[in-house]
Amino acid sequence: MSSSAINFRGLQSANRRKTFGLLAGMGLLVWAVVYAAMTYLGKSTTMIVPVAVGFALISVWGSYYFSDSLVMTMTGARIIEREDNPALFNLVEEVCLAAGLKLPKVAIVEDSAPNAFATGRNPDHAVIAFTTRILQVMDRDELQGVIAHEMSHVANRDTLVSAVAATTAGAIAILSDILMRMMIFGGMSDRDDREENQNPIALVISLVVLILAPLAAVLLKSAISRKRESLADATAVAFTRNPAGLRRALEVLQSDTTVVAQKSNAVAHIWIESPLDGKSVSKLFSTHPPLEERIAILRNMEANPIA
Amino acid sequence: MKSTIILIAVLVLLVLWVVTSYNRLVRLNISADEAFAQIEVQLKRRADLIPNLVETVKGYAAHEKTTLDAVISARAKATSATGIADVAAADGQLTTALRGLLAVAESYPDLKASANFLALQEELSTTENKVSFARQFYNDTVRSLNQAVKSFPSSLFAGMAKVSARAFYEVENPTDRNVPNVKF
Repeated sequence: MSSSAINFRGLQSANRRKTFGLLAGMGLLVWAVVYAAMTYLGKSTTMIVPVAVGFALISVWGSYYFSDSLVMTMTGARIIEREDNPALFNLVEEVCLAAGLKLPKVAIVEDSAPNAFATGRNPDHAVIAFTTRILQVMDRDELQGVIAHEMSHVANRDTLVSAVAATTAGAIAILSDILMRMMIFGGMSDRDDREENQNPIALVISLVVLILAPLAAVLLKSAISRKRESLADATAVAFTRNPAGLRRALEVLQSDTTVVAQKSNAVAHIWIESPLDGKSVSKLFSTHPPLEERIAILRNMEANPIA
Repeated sequence: MKSTIILIAVLVLLVLWVVTSYNRLVRLNISADEAFAQIEVQLKRRADLIPNLVETVKGYAAHEKTTLDAVISARAKATSATGIADVAAADGQLTTALRGLLAVAESYPDLKASANFLALQEELSTTENKVSFARQFYNDTVRSLNQAVKSFPSSLFAGMAKVSARAFYEVENPTDRNVPNVKF
């Protein structure tokens, strides 16, 4: 890590740059799939691109637009009012002042694992939720760090970013699925239609691209999610200027081995500590960077405070 | 023909760029106003808490007169201050006076254990945090604003948008810190 990236401003711009690069990578992947399809099956296959993108958009858009109510239902979160927990509302208000954001809805999830999440399509529809356990095990500074991390997701529009990533990954999956079927069932019969490249090497490469593209898309999507988590950690420090609070909160999560009861894949990525990453085959498929790495970066920020 | 299209495209991009830069300056200027208003809201909240705090402390530590008077006079100054430099200076004094009062409270176990004081403590700590976060957000906004006003090429539109660089909200010794020169 270069010295300029140690403080939160450097980390914020580095993570934004990397997200942009990864999203561009997704775009490039779509292009590669389309190109491979044209090579293998002829120019007429470009017709199915809008179909695939359309299907992906329809399936993702709803979960993006209604993310607040959907996620609440899926996690069993219940909205609370100020009088239910004034001290928690004080903390949320503090972080909102630091972030210049509107006060989100605050929700509670009855769960014996400490965790928290934020969702909502924009800051006006933001919801921030805490499990009952996290409110018991964390002190004021630690909770402030957690809230700052979650409000960073709101400020950085991460629901939108992950919706874009999910749409592109979905479109690539649909696209390669249709194309593989076309190859197996229809591709061989109408060879006259294949006006393009007949070079066997090009055909093999195209086939490999089509087979590997969905996997590559999932890897890119996970990488984007990890970058947004790192960005949220850095932005949280920009809000509270107290890396120690979030660092200690992550240490609490690290020492705790319980995981939230809702282990649904669909909402695993929104929690501050992923309920699924522990089981991932590889770091490459994780939606969050390893806790040790996040803690180390925060420690580094503590040692190098910004003026 | 082709060159006309390119010319038009360049002109459109140029206009778009001017509009965006101009709007950004205006937006930052409004944000800075809002951020300053937010500091005042939080300072008012804190000022409203103080009479209650002073009464509570008096009940247990009436002879800590100097500390109590310091808080009361700092509050009076803070509520009457106008203009960013004065508000910030009075805010700083009140923060110091409050810290003194809370330090004094440490040596009165009865006071520390009283229900009234315990209830006030959470209110006081969240209010202190809110005041300082509001200051920080204002200063961050001013930082972006000043950067936009002073750096080329957005500096070209600062005059047109009637936006100028602003002073930071500096609580500690605003005089001996190098405050940027501001002309309105």
